[in-house]
Amino acid sequence: MTTGGWILIILAWGVIFSLLIFCYSRVLKGDEAIPEYHYEGHEID
Amino acid sequence: MSKERQRWGTKIGVILAVAGSAVGLGNFLRFPVQAAQNGGGAFIIPYLIMLALVGIPLVWVEWTAGRHGGGYGHSTAPGIFQALWKKSRLVKYFGIGGIFGPFLIYMYYVYIESWCLAYAYYSITGQFSGMETGPAFVDFLTNYQGAATSGIFSGTAPGLIFFLITFCLNISVIYFGIRGGIEKLCNIAMPLLLFFGVVLAIRVVTLFAPDPLHPDWSSINGLGFLWNPDFSALKSVKVWLAAAGQIFFTLSVGMGVILTYSSYLKRKDDVALSGLAAGSTNEFAEVVLGGTIVIPAAFIFFGPQDIVEVASSGAFNLGFVTMPQIFCSLPAGAIFGFLWFFMLFLAGITSSISIAQPSVAFFEDEFRMSRPKAVRIFGIAAFILCLPAVVFLHRGVLDDLDFWGANFFIVIGATIEIILVAWVFGISKTWDELHKGAKLRVPRIFKFIIKFVTPVILIFILGWYFATEWVSTITMKGVPKANVPYILGMRLVLLGVLILLGVLIWKAWKKHDMKEEREVVK
Repeated sequence: MTTGGWILIILAWGVIFSLLIFCYSRVLKGDEAIPEYHYEGHEID
Repeated sequence: MSKERQRWGTKIGVILAVAGSAVGLGNFLRFPVQAAQNGGGAFIIPYLIMLALVGIPLVWVEWTAGRHGGGYGHSTAPGIFQALWKKSRLVKYFGIGGIFGPFLIYMYYVYIESWCLAYAYYSITGQFSGMETGPAFVDFLTNYQGAATSGIFSGTAPGLIFFLITFCLNISVIYFGIRGGIEKLCNIAMPLLLFFGVVLAIRVVTLFAPDPLHPDWSSINGLGFLWNPDFSALKSVKVWLAAAGQIFFTLSVGMGVILTYSSYLKRKDDVALSGLAAGSTNEFAEVVLGGTIVIPAAFIFFGPQDIVEVASSGAFNLGFVTMPQIFCSLPAGAIFGFLWFFMLFLAGITSSISIAQPSVAFFEDEFRMSRPKAVRIFGIAAFILCLPAVVFLHRGVLDDLDFWGANFFIVIGATIEIILVAWVFGISKTWDELHKGAKLRVPRIFKFIIKFVTPVILIFILGWYFATEWVSTITMKGVPKANVPYILGMRLVLLGVLILLGVLIWKAWKKHDMKEEREVVK
């Protein structure tokens, strides 16, 4: 495996594992919805 | 709409169900082949870019639109599209692909899924022992499919039995509903599938270089075959389109399944984080597991010369000929073979139940049918329409169904959907909807991407596919003359189903006047 191959596998796996950890740490923690978010006021009818 | 809507039981349940829908046979068989043929490791660059520009935006759009439509008591694309654009009398007909497309895929997918179950059984019972060469496994597969009879199987009975078992399993899960059937199955099947995938990936990597005569036929060099970059490939438009296509097909976007699943969420349930979690689970299965099992294992056993031919032999050949051949030469190969095929079966069943659900939900929501009745109608229709793929497999019927279901309708469906959501419903309202109950604040750049970038890329993909691939497939260019009547007959049947669906949508809306359309679920 070339250096380029290692760099790309680390990049791809890094992105995916970061996403997984980020998402599941929040999902499993059961956080409340983001409290400070202000909707733009559109009425969804 | 007084009937109580079905709901997901837990947040993790819906995430695993959507991830289960996305993780299918393609994650383990299509992705590595696409990567190997399109620049190796360099393929991952356009792949990740397309994930950010097409995949994730479409995931968020579908989760948001689905939950919004569910608020009006609709679980399928026609009703959801109507809820997004209430003034239009025609928009519901544009959602026809959200029921027809998944149904089309179901017509052949369950049959392929049944091969996985059969091969898992044959692996664990040692039926492959003594078989060593590639042609022996090709013979086994063609005999199993009933295309040849050289004594391994007497006729198509084994294939039909496994198909019936698989079909009945599917129908049973769907019968028990969202929480009692689909969610329960996915809560067990998805962790099991990922566990089997990790075990197989570790097994392949720790094979190192098993043949002392060929020390360079190693697992690391196998990973290198897939990941070593050929950056010149990035200049090719085809490579970028292949990456966009792979992202598209792997995330189950555009086919209406995510719309249906997310319609069972409550009004204030999060969609932003859940959509991203389901998408990243699928990417783990595809890039990390899918990229570590098939190609590296094939490299170790076939070497750097033959691997090119093996990689281009097609997904079925890789999965059902190459892989059992490799497992047969491993210690405890029967167990690893079982793990491989049962993992594929779990990936298959979690996907097939998701593509069945839109049809069932359509009858439940738009005709107020009870679930048992809706499942009965779906079961009878699906069983009859699955038979051509089983009986005429070698007449090109399966490939044609795959073109219409897994290519044509999902690309068109996603393009209609993104334009409808971002431009007709409006990006600002979509953004607000996306953030209702959100546990993640989506970066604002995605507002621009959803409105401009994703639609432009999708329109480009649509035009490109139409010009380069679709016309020749639609006109059956290159199809053997003997197969033409079978494919033509199947297309006429499909046209009949499409017209019938259109009539059903018209009848359903005639029943419940749009003036009565109102948000029914808080």
